[in-house]
Amino acid sequence: MKARILVVDDDEALAEMIGIVLRNDGFEPVFCADGAQALDVFRSSKPDLVLLDLMLPGMDGIEVCRQVRAESDVPIVMLTAKADTSDVVRGLESGADDYVPKPFKPAELVARVRARLRPGDQKAPETLRIADVTIDVAGHLVSRGNDRISLTPLEFDLLVALARKPWQVFTRELLLEQVWGYRHAADTRLVNVHVQRLRSKIERDPEAPEVVLTVRGVGYKAGS
Amino acid sequence: MPRAPETPRGGPGPWRRLAFRTRLWAKRARIVGVRVARLVRTGMQRLWPGILYLLRAVQRKWRRSLQFRTVLTTLMLAMGSFAVVGAYLSNQIANNLFQERLAQAESETRYNVKQVQDTFDGAQVTDQSSVITLVYDTLNAVEGRGSVIQRRYVFEAMPEQTKPRNRWVESRASDQLTIGVIPPDLRKAVQESGKDQYWASTQFPVGTEDRPGIAVGNKVTFNGTVYELYLIYDLNTAQKTLDEIQNVLLAGGALLVLMIGGVAWYVTRNVVSPVSHAAVVSEKLAAGQLQERMVVKGEDEVARLGASFNHMAASLQEQITQLATLSQMQQRFVSDVSHELRTPLTTVRMAAEVLYDAREDFDPINKRSAELLYNQVERFQSLLADLLEISRFDAGAATLDAEPTDIVQLVAHVIEGVAPVAAEYGSAVTLNAPAGSVIVDMDDRRIDRILRNLILNALEHGEGRPVNVSVAASGTAVAVAVRDHGIGMTPAEAARVFDRFWRADPARARTTGGSGLGLSIAAEDTKLHDGWLQAWGSKGQGSNFRLTLPLRRDEPITRSPLQLEPVNVGLPEAGRQRTVVLLDPLRTAGRGTGVEGSADGFSDGFDDDFSDDGGSGAAGGAIPDGGSAGPRGTGTEGRA
Repeated sequence: MKARILVVDDDEALAEMIGIVLRNDGFEPVFCADGAQALDVFRSSKPDLVLLDLMLPGMDGIEVCRQVRAESDVPIVMLTAKADTSDVVRGLESGADDYVPKPFKPAELVARVRARLRPGDQKAPETLRIADVTIDVAGHLVSRGNDRISLTPLEFDLLVALARKPWQVFTRELLLEQVWGYRHAADTRLVNVHVQRLRSKIERDPEAPEVVLTVRGVGYKAGS
Repeated sequence: MPRAPETPRGGPGPWRRLAFRTRLWAKRARIVGVRVARLVRTGMQRLWPGILYLLRAVQRKWRRSLQFRTVLTTLMLAMGSFAVVGAYLSNQIANNLFQERLAQAESETRYNVKQVQDTFDGAQVTDQSSVITLVYDTLNAVEGRGSVIQRRYVFEAMPEQTKPRNRWVESRASDQLTIGVIPPDLRKAVQESGKDQYWASTQFPVGTEDRPGIAVGNKVTFNGTVYELYLIYDLNTAQKTLDEIQNVLLAGGALLVLMIGGVAWYVTRNVVSPVSHAAVVSEKLAAGQLQERMVVKGEDEVARLGASFNHMAASLQEQITQLATLSQMQQRFVSDVSHELRTPLTTVRMAAEVLYDAREDFDPINKRSAELLYNQVERFQSLLADLLEISRFDAGAATLDAEPTDIVQLVAHVIEGVAPVAAEYGSAVTLNAPAGSVIVDMDDRRIDRILRNLILNALEHGEGRPVNVSVAASGTAVAVAVRDHGIGMTPAEAARVFDRFWRADPARARTTGGSGLGLSIAAEDTKLHDGWLQAWGSKGQGSNFRLTLPLRRDEPITRSPLQLEPVNVGLPEAGRQRTVVLLDPLRTAGRGTGVEGSADGFSDGFDDDFSDDGGSGAAGGAIPDGGSAGPRGTGTEGRA
């Protein structure tokens, strides 16, 4: 079955071009040019992935992202013209899994889309623990005691990657490769932002993390 | 009034008066001196630290407070002026008092002597007792009636009288007095003169004290015998009056000085307080509180100062606000342009790539067109990216996103990234990082960009010869040097190498398709890190670019751990080896010779180039950059 991709972009030419490229690579694109209608289109088309422009008429892309994220774990990849850190971070914090800075190459876009659509490996029943957090890998469940903690698939993958090798310190590059699936992705801010988002969900005190620890100058590792 | 000329014999006169006054003042001074000395001695012992502190406080106050200085100076000057005026007044008054008393004494003496002489002349006594009684009574009458002795006398027969004389009365004086009280000079003057009257200052005993007085001398004759008759007038009351006047003067003077000090304090406060207010306000202004203004009262000069100061502050605020607005506008413009340009460019780029991927199906003309389109769109894109980056710096919109990162790992990563380009140029890129790992507070995206730029630049101008990257750290800074052995550049060129769109040789083809902004952006990125980016070059011997960064954000660099100018600028013999050399910094932490591949020979020679440059030293053991301007003096500061 072809993966359906919702392209939210007000620039018709670009949307059409993206459509061509996506179709060429075997995806099924759905378009929406207005931020205000994005959520409706999202609900009606039930896409497997959303490509979202940040600057939209009607409603800000970041707001769209937040609303989509509020009701679904569907991967969201932002298309940003502004490469400023603050915009990227704001977009990632509002729930996007990844971003592609304009101008991007078709191959780059497709690679990112594929990486996010990567079918979850058939996970063997496995239970992992970091600190006082329990992870049921097959059931996609994270809990502390009896409290369930709701994570997006990306955050879940990040946590599992750290939990599988609690002895290892992961550099940001390594995490990009293992969690995002990028061999040469440049921007390690992706990791930073997602670690922060993960912490805000699973740490008792995100200021003093116990589950995901920072190793100064190197990267991150699981807490014991 | 006969007055003796001022001669040594004449005795009486200003000279004696002066001597007397001097003695008096000297006595007072001694008493005061002894008291002061005692006070100072005890003070030294007990209060020395306190005094020192006080002195220092006064000194500080003197340096820092205009008001204090003015008041103190005024007080000093007032005291000095008053001392002069007081001395003059006191002297005048003393003189007048003395002259008055002297005139009185002289006229009284004349009268009394006449009385005595008349009494003596009209006396008809012959027997001893009546003579004695007459003389004594007459003389006693001179002392005056009443309880207070108005004048004292000394009555003495003149010595060496050959004529027959009165042998019953030789000498006579008031109580406690002797002829010794009379200054010899006065006696001599009286003895040698005819009928003249002389005077002199003297001191005489009354009770237990010595009193100042005036002695007035005459001759009287009794029964043919010549006597000297001295009448002595007490100056004690005059002295007391003088003392009182002096006390009053002193008290008045002290009061006056205090009042002058107060007035000076008040006046200077009025003048200085607006000035210090202005200082406070301008300091606040300088600190960025642009809404700060001076309080303006009245219409005087100070008010004018305040008004014009406020005017200045207002225009300053206006201009700064305007600049800030402009900067914001430019920032927004850059951001908008960025967005507006990028979206169509993305479409063009994707379309170009789709065409490029399908070029094999085209006829030769269309195929070539598709290739050109693709390549030029790429170039356009990188040019646009660089331009936007530069305008972000110009608008002040660039922010540093620093966190601790291992720079050696980053350098290795960059070298790995440029490996295809290096292979294309046939240059070997070696990494020499004896420190193994150096954690630096830095924005790794920016540092990555700087290093990529430097290395690509070195490859582009390296003419296929090896490019060596060295990393060395000290306690506070880390340096990365990128050295090529290519065409090099002159010192003048090295000075301009960070200028925008600058090319060493405009005729030279730009092969890597750089925008000409790469090194400018690198310089801006370095500036953002408070680092140094410097270039050294020598024609035909290559160039060396050195990036120095502070290890921690709050510690400025004092010197770079690497030398800018290489010690040995010569090219290693085996430099033409066409191998890309990648080093794993973790495995070859000791010396950069663990080369993968077959470049051992050249690599050894290459290391010699930098061996004195901290290349083979331990971490931080690098020779500090003593003077970046070496003999050739070609080191130039980048805009860092």
